Amino acid sequence: MGFEQDYKGFQDYYEARRLNVRILVIQALLGAVLVVYLLAFWYLQVVKVDHYRRLSDSNRLRRVTIMPLRGVIKDSENRVLANSRIAFNIRLDREKVPEMQAFLPRLAGILGIPETTLRERLAKYRGRPAFEPVILKEDVDLAEAAYIESRRLELPMLSVEVESRRNYLYGPLAAHALGYVGEVSEDQIKADPSAAYDLGEIVGKAGVEKQYDSGLKGVKGWKQVVVNSFGREIQEIEEGRKSNPGRALRLSIDLDLQRALEEAYADEAGSAVFLDPHSGAVLAMISRPAFDSNVFSRRFSQDTWEGLVRDPRHPLQNRVSLSKFAPGSVFKIIMSIAALEEGIATPARADHCTGSWRFGDKTFQCWAIRKGGHGYLKMREAIIQSCNVYFYRLGNEMGIDRISKWAHRFGFGEPTGIDLPHEEAGTVPDPEWKKRANPRDPVWHPGETISVSIGQGALEVTPIQMAVFAAAIGNGGTLYRPHLVLSREVREGVEEDEHQDYVVRRIDMKAKTLEVIKDAMWGVVNDEGTGGRARIAGRDICAKTGTAQVFKASRDVDADKLPKERRDHAWFVGFAPRDDPKIAWAVFVQNGGHGGTTAAPIARAVLERFFGKEDARTGVQQLASVAVSQ
Amino acid sequence: MPAWRYLNNFDWILFLAILAACSVGLAVIYSATTGTPSSGAFHRQMIWLGIGLVLMVLALLIDYHTLAEFSYVFYGIGLLLLALTLVFGRVVNASKSWLGAGGVQFQPSELAKVATILVLAAYMGRERVRGLGVIHFAAICALIGLPVLLIMKQPDLGTAVTFAPLFAGVVFVGGIRVRTLLILAVIATLALPLSWGHLKPYQKERVKTFLEPTRDPKGSGYQLIQSLIAVGSGGLMGKGFLSGTQGQLQFLPEQHTDFVFAVLAEERGFIGAFLALGLYFAIIYRCLATARAARDRLGVFLAIGVVCVFSGQALLNIGVVVGLLPTTGVPLPLMSYGGSSLASTLLGMGLVLNVWMRRLVN
Repeated sequence: MGFEQDYKGFQDYYEARRLNVRILVIQALLGAVLVVYLLAFWYLQVVKVDHYRRLSDSNRLRRVTIMPLRGVIKDSENRVLANSRIAFNIRLDREKVPEMQAFLPRLAGILGIPETTLRERLAKYRGRPAFEPVILKEDVDLAEAAYIESRRLELPMLSVEVESRRNYLYGPLAAHALGYVGEVSEDQIKADPSAAYDLGEIVGKAGVEKQYDSGLKGVKGWKQVVVNSFGREIQEIEEGRKSNPGRALRLSIDLDLQRALEEAYADEAGSAVFLDPHSGAVLAMISRPAFDSNVFSRRFSQDTWEGLVRDPRHPLQNRVSLSKFAPGSVFKIIMSIAALEEGIATPARADHCTGSWRFGDKTFQCWAIRKGGHGYLKMREAIIQSCNVYFYRLGNEMGIDRISKWAHRFGFGEPTGIDLPHEEAGTVPDPEWKKRANPRDPVWHPGETISVSIGQGALEVTPIQMAVFAAAIGNGGTLYRPHLVLSREVREGVEEDEHQDYVVRRIDMKAKTLEVIKDAMWGVVNDEGTGGRARIAGRDICAKTGTAQVFKASRDVDADKLPKERRDHAWFVGFAPRDDPKIAWAVFVQNGGHGGTTAAPIARAVLERFFGKEDARTGVQQLASVAVSQ
Repeated sequence: MPAWRYLNNFDWILFLAILAACSVGLAVIYSATTGTPSSGAFHRQMIWLGIGLVLMVLALLIDYHTLAEFSYVFYGIGLLLLALTLVFGRVVNASKSWLGAGGVQFQPSELAKVATILVLAAYMGRERVRGLGVIHFAAICALIGLPVLLIMKQPDLGTAVTFAPLFAGVVFVGGIRVRTLLILAVIATLALPLSWGHLKPYQKERVKTFLEPTRDPKGSGYQLIQSLIAVGSGGLMGKGFLSGTQGQLQFLPEQHTDFVFAVLAEERGFIGAFLALGLYFAIIYRCLATARAARDRLGVFLAIGVVCVFSGQALLNIGVVVGLLPTTGVPLPLMSYGGSSLASTLLGMGLVLNVWMRRLVN
């Protein structure tokens, strides 16, 4: 006990008291701080508890969207055109790879993907949480999926993800009518906040997929999950809502006709549409060049997609409703109707064609100029032979205002209202239009009327407008709004027909006028006219050919020997049968030359299939063999 | 004096309060680390608690006068270890503050802290002074300054800061005149803007974040915001043991070290925080009572040194948790995970118990 003496005790009572006081000061200070802390805890935990509870919940709870299965698209006979199928993707769990660089060559071997491609795909996920799986290979076949699954022990980092994917059973068939799906774009998300799109959500991008997206996509569900600070799902909470699958869509398209059309169209470019003349329902529709809608459902299809977008032939454009061309000689039908209805001419009106007509200081040619013209013609022959001179002079007598009035009545110059996302209105020129469209030369020249009279000049129509027009002639004057959807599923398993009034207007025409026109159009196909190649015996096909000029034809050049891209566009527009039409159409072949040569056989192929089915339905098949042998 | 008489004078209240705080700390560490990569922390902390308690018993069995006699030896060893750390230390979080011996790692700065308390008490107890002369003041500065400089060199600002309350406490109780104190306070205030320029960028960031936590919610403000959410969402009764989402789901960083009190407040609520604060106040109060009851100046300054370091760390840590102070990275004594801190705190408490036990002159 020797060291105590080294340490001095207190000098006196005062020193002890002074120390005591100072210690008490420290005690008071510390006590005060503790009271402040206690108040801080009170404030945070009792006063502001609701605020912090909310923050805590939003920290740990995440809303996860459950995507519904997209609705099926079927043809008019309930054959599936587009559905959702199960796809297998191979995913990599980066957390389970100890040494990525060393593993990559082996991985490349297993998956059969070049190492550089793997590196690129992994690079996209740099900066994302490591537990987030990387999709390395998508849409593998069952065998490969099974191969990976059976090696879970050996390759724990690879797993197979099952995903639903839009599937177009016939690839490019009716691609423009069906459209395609893809991930919602940022613009779409911004443009329509009420739709509450999720990032990466699959939506319709074109065709009926886009037009009827709201029904097809179904109703999203959601669930609440608890996540930790890295976003990893820890557990699922009962709360939530199931998703409702998308509603099925039944199209008026008939797969059989569509196939016949696709086959007949071969490698030509252009478009065609076939309608039910009594409703405007689209029975078949094609636009070429086409694309495979399935390409857009894939994740790694950037190159293919860019190829389609950049293709100078614009395969993504639906030529049925978006391409505008001169109607050519098809317009002579409108000319005739207008002349008959306005009392400018009777069917007996005769004219003499010498192969050309000099009007003002310009000479307007007839296509028959090389054989010295058509000679004397009445209206029926003028239509059948498609004589230009007859209609030049008729147009000159009638004037542009009457022509444009009747063109408008038949729906030209306005969108048809078809249920597809975009549509062109086309142009029906008149003096008013010219003032607006051409301020540098606002005056309408009489010569322009002459060009319009044979369907050239500034006239522009879409193939769908032409089909609607043909249907209106066939059905006796009713203009329908063309449409692709027959019925929609309203509840699960319950389909309801579209009860819409598709009548746009009824065009008042004299019975005599219709009779003359129909007879002339019958003659085009059946009476040595320009459309003879579409003839099917006993079917009374009525049509009109047309040519939209690409290159000014001259007297010395044989149009059929021109290079393909300089050839004229071919039209073949009509309905059948004559007396009770069941189908109406417009076939348009780009650079097809003359309408009767390329477009008419395409229409015939579809019509054969159509009447073949009709006969099978009604049990009358006797004509089928005759039709083929023709 | 026979040993039983010392036992009769043992401060059971302080001892039990310390044990209670350690137990609460263990429970919170268990809750905060279960299912996380640091799940071994609970067992390691148990072992360190055992080591700490042995050290505490050693520190109270040997008469504190004897310990003070050898204080300069301990102090020298402490400085030597700090110097060695700068040379051989292991780098963790960009600072060299760990020294390894075999499989055991410890922070010499924690040991140096106790040695400094001891040497200061020995110095203050030996000198008979009225007021505090310039020589004494300089001596105190030197004794504290040496280890602080070595620790700043690591650099471990958090540990270095805990020497400040020790300095303040010893100087204040040592009898500095109130006038001198005020002058020092004015100088310190004036020096504050100057020191801003010497702060490291991350330290400046911490201060800025403290003043405006939402400035950078994903970065330096993240800890503070998550800590406030943890504390606030605990409410009156807390979310329950192992049920605090902020801690369990690892939104709260450093949940078993610097923010252990936030986990406690989240899972046990205001009631728990209140009781834990009460525990700390009890420990501080008993230490101050020991200082007042000490039989000589050595005892007074030992108790004062320990309580100043202890309360300084505790208040600094909890102040950060409730958002009253900027983030410093100071562990909560007795509760935070960390063996060196726990052992050195228990060692210091052993000295206080020692002083109380030997407060009566026989």
